[in-house]
Amino acid sequence: MTQLTVTAQKRPNPYLSIDSLDPESELMLLHFGPQHPSTHGVFRMDLYLDGEIIVKAVPHCGYLHRAVEKLCEKLSYVQLTPIVDKNDYVAPMTNEQAIVMACEAMLKLEVPRRARWMRALFAELQRIASHLLAIGTFCLDLGGALGGGSTAFIYCFRERELILDLFEDVTGARFHYNTHTIGGNRHDLPAGWGAKVKAVLDVIEARMPEYAALTIENRIFQQRTKNVGVLDGELALELGVTGPNLRASGIDHDLRRDAPFHAYDEVKVNVAVATGGDCYARSIVRVAEVKESLRLCRAFLDGMPEGPINSGKPTKLTVQTKIPAGQVYVGIETPRGELGTWLITDGTQNAYRLKIRPPSLHALSALPYILPGYTVSDAVAILGSLDPIMGEVDR
Amino acid sequence: MRHFLDALKSVATIAKSFGRKTNTVQYPKVLRPRAERYRASFALLHEADGDEACIGCLQCERICPSKVIAIKGPAKRDSPITGKKRSYADDFTLDLSACIFCELCVQVCPTDAIVMTREQEEPAYGRESLVLNMARLYENEKTKTRAWGDGTKLMEMQTPPKPPKPAPVEGAPVAAAPVVAAPVTAAAVDAVPVAAAPAVPTSEPSVAPAPIIPKPEGGTP
Repeated sequence: MTQLTVTAQKRPNPYLSIDSLDPESELMLLHFGPQHPSTHGVFRMDLYLDGEIIVKAVPHCGYLHRAVEKLCEKLSYVQLTPIVDKNDYVAPMTNEQAIVMACEAMLKLEVPRRARWMRALFAELQRIASHLLAIGTFCLDLGGALGGGSTAFIYCFRERELILDLFEDVTGARFHYNTHTIGGNRHDLPAGWGAKVKAVLDVIEARMPEYAALTIENRIFQQRTKNVGVLDGELALELGVTGPNLRASGIDHDLRRDAPFHAYDEVKVNVAVATGGDCYARSIVRVAEVKESLRLCRAFLDGMPEGPINSGKPTKLTVQTKIPAGQVYVGIETPRGELGTWLITDGTQNAYRLKIRPPSLHALSALPYILPGYTVSDAVAILGSLDPIMGEVDR
Repeated sequence: MRHFLDALKSVATIAKSFGRKTNTVQYPKVLRPRAERYRASFALLHEADGDEACIGCLQCERICPSKVIAIKGPAKRDSPITGKKRSYADDFTLDLSACIFCELCVQVCPTDAIVMTREQEEPAYGRESLVLNMARLYENEKTKTRAWGDGTKLMEMQTPPKPPKPAPVEGAPVAAAPVVAAPVTAAAVDAVPVAAAPAVPTSEPSVAPAPIIPKPEGGTP
C-alpha cells in the first residue's frame, strides 16, 4: 500500500488573488452556466476574462440541492437505499453499496460471500457504464474539433445501453436499482444472465479499439486535450481529489487495491496510472480502467460462488429496525473516486447524521486552481474531463 | 499526403458503417422487450377464490420512502366469498407521480396483494390521472402484464436456506485458493511464522475439496 504524503504548499488563494491581472485591462465577467449543456447538469462558474483568457474562476454549486442528507435523517435505515440512488445518477450501484456497507458495519453483519461477489461485479459493470458516459460526453464537450463529437458520444451510449439492459434483467430497473439491502442483496442473478454478461463484455472489448481510435489516438483529440488543465499531484492530494482524476496526476491510489472491500481482496486489481495530469491523461486513465474492468468482470463472473445472497437478518429488517449508537466511516472506490459515507447513529431507528463525501465535489474544487490561464473553450474541456456529476455534488 | 490518407480512411469508415445494423427501434410502432423483473406500475391482486388479497395491514404504507401510499383501514368485514370475517383495506391510493419505484412495498406485502406491472410506459394527461385509486389498481390486474416479483418470491430469494448452508462454505475457498496461495508464499518468504501459521491450515482445506472446482462455474447463472 502506498503511503500518501501531503506537504501543504503556500499557494495564492485562487478566490482572492488575481495576480496575473493586467491592471490596465478591463475584465469581463462571464456567467458560465447554470443552464449550459457542457456543465454536466446545473453548475455555474463566474469566469473573469481578460480577452479570451480566464484570469479567475469562481465555481458555484448548489443548484441541484435536494437535502438528501437531511432526508436520510428522517427516514429509517431500510428506506435509505432508494434515496441515495439518486445522488450519483450515473453510477447508482456504488451509492447504494456505500450506504449499505455503512449500516452493515454498524450492525456488525457479515455479508454472504456470493453477495459480496455480486456487489463487486455490479460495481465493475457500473464502472464501465459510467466511464463510457464520461468518455462520450467529454467528446461532446470538445465539440467542433471532433466533428461535433457526437459519433463517439452515440457509440459510447450504445454500449452503455447494453449494460443497463443487464442491470434491468437483474433488478428490474435501468437506473435506480434498489438492489442492495442491509446484509446482502435483494435480487439474485437470473438464470442465463452470466452468458449475457459475457456476450456484452465481448462486444465492448471488440469495440474498444474503435473508442481508442476516436478519442485518445485521434490527432485532433490529442491537440485539444494535451497540456490542457494540468492538475499536479500535490495539489490534487491537498484538495482531496480522488479516482481517475488523481491517478491521471501520477498518484497511484485506488481503494479497490489499497483498502479492499467487496471481493477485491480476492481478485487482483491493476491500477491504471498516467502522468501529466492534463485532460489527455484523465482520458487515458478512463479508457484503461474500462479495459481493466472488463477483465475484472470476467474474473468475478467466473469465480461467482454459490450460496445465499443475504445474511438472513435483513428479511426481518423493518422500519422499526434500530442501529446501536456509534459512528462509522466507509469509503469505497466509485467510478469517480472515493465515495465516503459517515454515519452517526444514536440508537434510534433514524440516523443522527449522515454525511456523504462525494468525489465530484472535490474534483470541482480544483477548478479555480487549474482554470486560470486557459481559454473559455478549454474551460469546457477541463470541466468535462473532471467528469463531475452534479447530483452528488449538491446532494 | 498524410491528410489524404486520413481522408481515405474516413471514407473507408463510412463505407464500413453502411452495413451496420441499427441499434434503435422505431418507438411507437416497435416496443423493446422488457425484462421479466421490469418495474413500471402497480396492480392489486385478487386471491384464487376471487377475494381481495389486500388485508390493509399498512406495511407498504409504512415502508414507502416517498410516502405515496395512503390506505384507509383496516376494517373487519365478512368476506363476500367465504363468509368468514377478515380485514380489508377500505381505500388504497398510490400516487405514481411521486413514486420512486423502489419495490419495497412489494417486498413487505405479507399476502402478495400488491405487485408491479411491466408495461413500458405510463402516460397521462394530468397529474390526477397518475393517482392510482383502488379501482384502477384492480383494473391493472386484468389489463397489464405482471412483473416477476411479489412478496413471497422476493423473500424466498433473500432468505438463506437453512440446511444447505455449508455448501457455500465448501465452494468458497475453491475460487479463493489461487488468491490465498499467493500471500501464503509471500509470508513464507518473509519468514513470519505468525502470519504463515494460520494461513497454511486455511489454504489446505481449500485445496482439499478439489473436485468441487467445476462447482462455481456451474453455479454461475
